Amino acid sequence: MAPIELFIELTLMPLIAFIVGMMMVLMMRRIAARIQRRIGPPFFQPLYDIVKLHGKRTQVSHGLIHDIGIVMAMGGYIAAETLLPVPGMNGIAEKGGLITLLYLMMIPSLGLALGVGQCANPNGSIGIARALTAMLAYDIPLVIVIFGVAYAAGTTNLVEIIATQQAGGFATWGVVEMPLLAIAGLIAMHASLGKQPFEIYIAPAEIATGPMVEMSGKYLGGLFVMQCFQLYTTSVLYVSLFLGGGTTWFDFLIKSFLVLAIPVSIAYLFPRYRTEDLLRLMWKWPVILGLIGLAFVM
Amino acid sequence: MVMSRLQKIPVVEEKKGNPLARVFDDLVRFCRSRSLFILHYCTGCGAIELPPAMTSRFDMERLGIQPMVSPRQADILLITGYVSIKTLKRVILTYEQMGSPKYVVGICSCTVNGGMYWQSYATAKKLDEYMPVDLYIAGCMPRPEAVISGLQKLMDRIKNGEADSWQDYYRNYDYYLGNQQKLFGEDWQTPTDIITEAKHYELMGEGTLGQHTRLLEQHQQPLEALEMRLGHKLKEPVE
Ligand code: SF4
Repeated sequence: MAPIELFIELTLMPLIAFIVGMMMVLMMRRIAARIQRRIGPPFFQPLYDIVKLHGKRTQVSHGLIHDIGIVMAMGGYIAAETLLPVPGMNGIAEKGGLITLLYLMMIPSLGLALGVGQCANPNGSIGIARALTAMLAYDIPLVIVIFGVAYAAGTTNLVEIIATQQAGGFATWGVVEMPLLAIAGLIAMHASLGKQPFEIYIAPAEIATGPMVEMSGKYLGGLFVMQCFQLYTTSVLYVSLFLGGGTTWFDFLIKSFLVLAIPVSIAYLFPRYRTEDLLRLMWKWPVILGLIGLAFVM
Repeated sequence: MVMSRLQKIPVVEEKKGNPLARVFDDLVRFCRSRSLFILHYCTGCGAIELPPAMTSRFDMERLGIQPMVSPRQADILLITGYVSIKTLKRVILTYEQMGSPKYVVGICSCTVNGGMYWQSYATAKKLDEYMPVDLYIAGCMPRPEAVISGLQKLMDRIKNGEADSWQDYYRNYDYYLGNQQKLFGEDWQTPTDIITEAKHYELMGEGTLGQHTRLLEQHQQPLEALEMRLGHKLKEPVE
């Protein structure tokens, strides 16, 4: 591939991810509004929020690590987007593979932990401790699921996994071939989004939005951008693993929005678990489902 | 008193010329007006009208207004009712920690002139003596419709670039500090250093420094970062 072509792809992929991610945030807030019988925010609301936060006059920084932490939180996801194939663009997905992607998806939490650490706010520290605990909880089923899919496909190359599924049609989609792994993956994905039953580290009523408590202006704006990327990355990864990726942009976007709509609609119906309940739940059901699924695959 | 001070703020004439030169500013102003995070400091009975304004009946989120939980994240400080003197201290601390541009909205008659607590010794009567207030919504208590229409007025003023009374707190800090000292005593000090901030953001005005800030400087304790260590003992053991 010509370097200039690669450069264009590497620029376009995060950009598209950002725009689609903003629409996913909008969808999430609209679904929440509909469930609560409200009308919900206007179409450009996520954009308004991000522009406003970056346009604040006062930007309170708590030090260098605070700045770097936010950049890491965003940068981890931006790097992850270049490893996620979308229709027509593969970026560096062939060279990266699933394991690198899994590593990159953990960087944001670590960056956030660094940044919040310097704020020296007790709510933030509690929040980040819970966020890392939650990561420990959902990463085990997630790793089992990803190992299962990679084992079944015989490769960790995401492009090949998608190509095999597309060549064989619907019957070879991951969700048909490995339904148990798909269910476990859905639960793990829901937990990794940090939405309601698993919302232990935001918890506005208890620890005042945890990691976000000291963030203002562009720092909070950075986290809003990060949320867009997070929704996009999680749902696109799921679509690539289990729903055969996308041949065209149309079915690709429909699949990713539909996949995301499932955890989001569940989220706004439930209150929140405690940390130990989350751990118990995540290490029990998705892990059991995942291991049984793994046994079928092997 | 306040009006005469407000009139002293220099008005920057917009230069005619390239119409696209201010597009970016206009965009930011528009986004500011359409995305308001409120911090509702529920001081008095007026707070009871906010849940209906936020939830399904009136749904403020369609205007881009949503509640936030910490002062750093918020744009609007909603004071919903009477402020007792003890509460006012916290309100001022909260206000100073918010990132500018910030707006203060006083809901309820009690914030305008003390309302039915006029004769009370324990309430601060007029909120705008202690911090610049952008908008009052009078009523005992105002209905959610009134709250929303008031906030819409604030949105219009933000869009036109008129709602900049937060700068007044920096430009006339001496006046506000004087009133605060009158209530809380001469050794009143907040953890936020407004004068340094005003210098940093180039918002020094004629009224920033004065006799009250001199009084503050006399007994100001230097701010120190909280010490973080494990196994911190609250009390020294008695021998
Ligand atoms: S104006 Fe009326 S409703 Fe509002 S705080 Fe005062 S007494 Fe309560």
